[in-house]
Amino acid sequence: MKESQDNFDELKRLLKLKRHEVPPPGYFNHFSDSVISRLQAGEGQKESAVERLNESAPWLASLLHIFEARPGVIGAFATCLCLLLVLGAVFTGHSDATPDGLMTYDSGVGSMPGNPITSLASSTLAAPGEASGIVASTNPVVSLQPSPSMFGQQNQLFQNASFAVGR
Amino acid sequence: MSEPATITDANTPGGMLEGDLVRRARHGDLKAYDELVKRYQERIYATIYHMTSNHEDANDLAQDAFIKAFQALKSFKGGSSFYTWLYRIAVNKTINFLKTRKNKYNLSLNDLDFNAENDKDLVALISDKTPLRDASLSELQKKLNEALLRLSEPHRMVMVLHDVQGMSHEEIADIVGCNIGTVRSRLFYARQEMQGHLSEYIK
Repeated sequence: MKESQDNFDELKRLLKLKRHEVPPPGYFNHFSDSVISRLQAGEGQKESAVERLNESAPWLASLLHIFEARPGVIGAFATCLCLLLVLGAVFTGHSDATPDGLMTYDSGVGSMPGNPITSLASSTLAAPGEASGIVASTNPVVSLQPSPSMFGQQNQLFQNASFAVGR
Repeated sequence: MSEPATITDANTPGGMLEGDLVRRARHGDLKAYDELVKRYQERIYATIYHMTSNHEDANDLAQDAFIKAFQALKSFKGGSSFYTWLYRIAVNKTINFLKTRKNKYNLSLNDLDFNAENDKDLVALISDKTPLRDASLSELQKKLNEALLRLSEPHRMVMVLHDVQGMSHEEIADIVGCNIGTVRSRLFYARQEMQGHLSEYIK
């Protein structure tokens, strides 16, 4: 990219013409007065929303400029957004569906099949002996067996609660 | 032969140093700011005009730039000169405006001054070198401005500041906010593209 290799002298000479372009005579005599009178009118205090956006979020401002310049882009952007929403809704619907045969336990007494809370409650009521084993429950929290302590003292942290209800 | 001494009165805004004027303007002294506007109005206007090729737009933008600068004077830390800082505001305003301008080729050109017709280089350019020998200076002016508008804003800005306004690479880098290498590279590609657009007038 050596400047000397490319002869830009003619172009530079041509660009000199720009220096001869001058505003109407007397234009600069009143320029500063216009600025000062606008400042005195309090215009200096206001800042447009566009200017604030340009300063705070230039990327958003340029995105808006693109939308403004090419209306077709807005259409394409909106279509993509709708497509994403539809796809999102479809995939969410699929992931919510329970696969067949996963929740098979059914006590049959007032419990809703597939609901671990109602199934646990009904199994506790219907078969207390069975509930102590809690083997039938599919609830992972409930089915945890108490692990034996390393020091042979099980569940020392748990104390029997005594409730003295005074009347 | 000694040069005549310039008489300046440090108590009037006209005789004050830039730093003093800025300090006073920051405290709301509009007379001091008026002096600052007078000092830089021509250069700021010219830069914006060469970027937009439209007198009315340049007038509005130049005024807006000075108003914006007054608003922001409190945030001016003095890290660069007031002139560079003011230029930066004007350049950013112009580039933002050009992005939103609907009609890109809305020319409203200023007249050429009397000296243009006496410029040997320009006269030679339209009489000898070009195939269009009857091309007038105003035609050439129109073609030149149209070609400038075809450049991207960053390329045009660098070309205007360097080749038209005669600024150094360092000054431009400071104003535009990029390194000197980028300025050089933009200038090279801008010139190359301009040469292509104006091929009938060059060579």
